[in-house]
Amino acid sequence: MSDQNKILIIDDDPDYIDGIRKILEKAEYLVSVAHNPKDGYQMLLSSQYDLVLLDIMMGRGAEGIALARKLRKDPILRIIPLLIITGIREQIAFLFPGQPVHPNFVEMDGLLEKPIEPKVLLKKVGDLIQISKEKLHE
Amino acid sequence: MISTKSRLVIIDDEEVVLDSCKLILRNENYQITTAPNGEAGLRLIEKDKPDLVFVDLKMPGLSGFEVIKRINEIDPNIVTIVLTGFSTVSSAVEAMKKGAYDFLPKPFSPDEFRLIARRGLERRILVLETIKLKREKDMLREQFAAIVSHELKSPLGVVQQNLYTLEEDLSGCLNTEQILLLEKLKSKITDLMNLIHTWLRIISVDVSKLKDSFVNISIEDVVTKAVENHHLLAQKKGIEIELDSFHTFPAINGDEGTLVEAVGNLLGNAIKFSHQYGNIFVKGKIQDEELEISVIDNGIGISKEDIPYIFDDFYSYSRDENVNQSSGLGLAISKRIIEAHDGEISVVSELGQGSKFSIKLPIPSSAQ
Repeated sequence: MSDQNKILIIDDDPDYIDGIRKILEKAEYLVSVAHNPKDGYQMLLSSQYDLVLLDIMMGRGAEGIALARKLRKDPILRIIPLLIITGIREQIAFLFPGQPVHPNFVEMDGLLEKPIEPKVLLKKVGDLIQISKEKLHE
Repeated sequence: MISTKSRLVIIDDEEVVLDSCKLILRNENYQITTAPNGEAGLRLIEKDKPDLVFVDLKMPGLSGFEVIKRINEIDPNIVTIVLTGFSTVSSAVEAMKKGAYDFLPKPFSPDEFRLIARRGLERRILVLETIKLKREKDMLREQFAAIVSHELKSPLGVVQQNLYTLEEDLSGCLNTEQILLLEKLKSKITDLMNLIHTWLRIISVDVSKLKDSFVNISIEDVVTKAVENHHLLAQKKGIEIELDSFHTFPAINGDEGTLVEAVGNLLGNAIKFSHQYGNIFVKGKIQDEELEISVIDNGIGISKEDIPYIFDDFYSYSRDENVNQSSGLGLAISKRIIEAHDGEISVVSELGQGSKFSIKLPIPSSAQ
């Protein structure tokens, strides 16, 4: 068994994923990709991941949020650290006018705003995986 | 438009009137139904959704006034015309105030009746046309927001992200010039993204809905946050922001996020249009039932000819080449936000001397 950490990216824009994927693979992560929430969910059921990177604005709206909520309710899948990517700050502003910061719309372990600085991404991913591993060993 | 027959309903308690009306219009391409009283008339209207209704004012049972009122409740776009005895013109005027489009005093000639029926139907066509145009306008607005969002923003986001990745990949292989070039690319794309976000905001936000989420908020918090958000920008130009104490200001009813944005826009402009090492003052004042926040700069100022337009959408005051291009939406957005708070935004400015932008907000009577 490989000791590489496995990351699942769920995002509907293949070109966007390419950029993120390169950063992660360069840092020796094993990256899998799902292009919609449904496939992502199936992949999480059938295989083990150390972290999920989820874009919440997919499809015709915030389909990623529904998936995030579903994952948080699942007794097994909720253990996997969930890192949300979003360019949503402004979108939130018109979905929920008057809230320039992210309201607590879904339980998550971390949030990254687009564009993501490679260093910030790697730091956050590394930290989250480590925290979750420590928790498992407790 | 008139592929289907126009539908008319005539309500009058005198059978002879109903009959003669039908007779007069028999050669027109109308579908006419009649009712001898208000109750029956309203049932017909509910069922048929007519284009035009003639109502006699004086009828036993439900009065003509009441019928007009109910028609308005059923569908305010149905055109109603009042038929009235010669001596009751004043009540006809009263009926028009209640929503009737016109009136016709009895007795009337066939020509008069044909004419007013035609006019009523023309009115109906205009009303429907207006509704259609308004709906189209709303749809265009929404569609434009969607297009800007998806067709422009998403691909640009990809370019932006991949530029970051590329930079990381190439780190160590680039010379200073190349690094600088990459930085410029990144900064231009960030500007573009911000511009798109601002557009989206002005197109999508219905500030009138803000009112639903109003709570008690502290003006001190609003001003402090707005200043914090612009601290770095000011520092870059060596500009000092001097801030009055808003500590004693009463709480107001409002929405903190958008107010921070409104005050922030004023600050952003003040910084943009200030000279290097200039000063910006943020002053507070309470007068009568209003509080005032002013942002004062001693920058380039605004000319008299420009002042009337600065709060318009897409107005950008940037004749000075040293000043960055702006989207021209900041003040327009601020104005809408402040007006949603029942406040006022105003400016006093002199070219070459600087500007003073003031926001006035009402203090709730409980806080006075």
